[in-house]
Amino acid sequence: MATATYESGLPRGVGRLTRGWVLFVIAMAAVCGLGWYAYVREYTEGMTITGMRNVGTMGGATWGLYITFVVYFIGVSFAGIAVAVVIRLFNLEKLRPLARMAEVLTVVSLLLGAIAIVADLGQPFRGIINLFRYARPQSPFFGTFTMVIAGYLFASLVYLWLTSRRDAALLAKQESRMRWLHRFVAAGYTDTPVERERHSRATFWLAICILPMLVVAHSTLGFVFGLQVGRPGWYSALQAPAFVVLAGVSGTGLLIVLAAIVRKMLNRDVGLNTYVFGWLGRFMMVLLIVYVYFMVTELATATYAGSERELQVTREMLRGEYSWIFWTSVALLVLPLASLLFQAIKRNWSVPWLIVSGIAVNLGAIGKRYLIAVPSQTHGQLLPYNDGSYTPSWIEFAVVASLMAFGALIIGVFMKVLPIVELEPEEEVVSHA
Amino acid sequence: MRRGLAIGMIIVGIALMVISYFGLAAPWGADSVANSDPRLQFAPLLFVLGVMMAFGSALVYEMLPDKSGPK
Repeated sequence: MATATYESGLPRGVGRLTRGWVLFVIAMAAVCGLGWYAYVREYTEGMTITGMRNVGTMGGATWGLYITFVVYFIGVSFAGIAVAVVIRLFNLEKLRPLARMAEVLTVVSLLLGAIAIVADLGQPFRGIINLFRYARPQSPFFGTFTMVIAGYLFASLVYLWLTSRRDAALLAKQESRMRWLHRFVAAGYTDTPVERERHSRATFWLAICILPMLVVAHSTLGFVFGLQVGRPGWYSALQAPAFVVLAGVSGTGLLIVLAAIVRKMLNRDVGLNTYVFGWLGRFMMVLLIVYVYFMVTELATATYAGSERELQVTREMLRGEYSWIFWTSVALLVLPLASLLFQAIKRNWSVPWLIVSGIAVNLGAIGKRYLIAVPSQTHGQLLPYNDGSYTPSWIEFAVVASLMAFGALIIGVFMKVLPIVELEPEEEVVSHA
Repeated sequence: MRRGLAIGMIIVGIALMVISYFGLAAPWGADSVANSDPRLQFAPLLFVLGVMMAFGSALVYEMLPDKSGPK
């Protein structure tokens, strides 16, 4: 069996701090600092500093940019863990280079989703304590917090740790400044056949348990909106499945972008080839087709025989205040679909076009999440209130930007601590000595 | 021992989830304000702990050494 060795340091760029990486960390930390400043102001001066206002009486929206990004971040996590679990369950060896980054993407996006919820609460500590104290199991919020934040995030962390132990054990064999950390992550793993067998069994069952929880967790998040009978635009049986599918679209898109960045950064063949990108492209294409079908069905139902208020919300999206967001989002979803279909027919996948599609569908998904959250609050009144409006303040933009920067920072740091692409079975790290 | 502990964690975790969800949290099907509080405060926290315990069993199963140690 061939044994790859790394005479010039740890593999996959681990521990190698380049000037570009240091600049990236400084830039991301600066954006995080701005977001922290904005959040401190929000915490001390109150929610009035944001663009959010009471629904109806104050003509505003209580769920704004933060909730938009809660839904978006949790959505991104879907494809990450789904791809990782499917790769391990079905032993898709050619896609194995994607598994680790998919797992990291899931953990990071779930963490960001949880922080975005905290940012949305005026008094976060009171909110969190009372949730654990008084939450009602009948409420979809209970499911969202317990299934998504507790179960899903915890299970993903366990999964990521268990699948990282082997690489950490291999890295710990080599002298480096991070040897103590690699030993800690390896937690006694020595890669014996018995341990490998045990690891394989544990991750298999964990993957089996994560998959159904994944669907339940995302559907529950969809139910937060879809079960609200008194809010035109939200009450729909399609909300939950559409949440799951759009989650898959945005997550796969981001995974494509991340895989492309990793391939560029590692500057060597780590298995992230056209086959891998083509598989992701096909996966995203199928999900996009299903989502566009849901979108058309939803619109047809609302415009053909919707109630008066339902029609008003739809009209606002199609030709009113929110029309520019709606049509831009539709274009950002449909054009990538056309591009993916073209590439699939030609059987020739272009990585640059896949990256463009990945970025586009994510922007489109953010737009769609905004349209799910906001218009129903400002224009979906069943009580005789005037129509409202919502414009996010710079505070909200700064907090959201800092969340994204924080996510990028975690992934960037992770890449320097553990291999973002799993080491091949035949790879072994050897000491300089 | 290792396997037994992992299975035990799964059973206790699921039991915690079921008991806290159906027995200790606010009653199912009762939508009056009087029934909106949980029967035991922090019942939702017990549910969360149950979820974590069930998934944490994977850590115990994989990381705890066998009686005879790793071969």
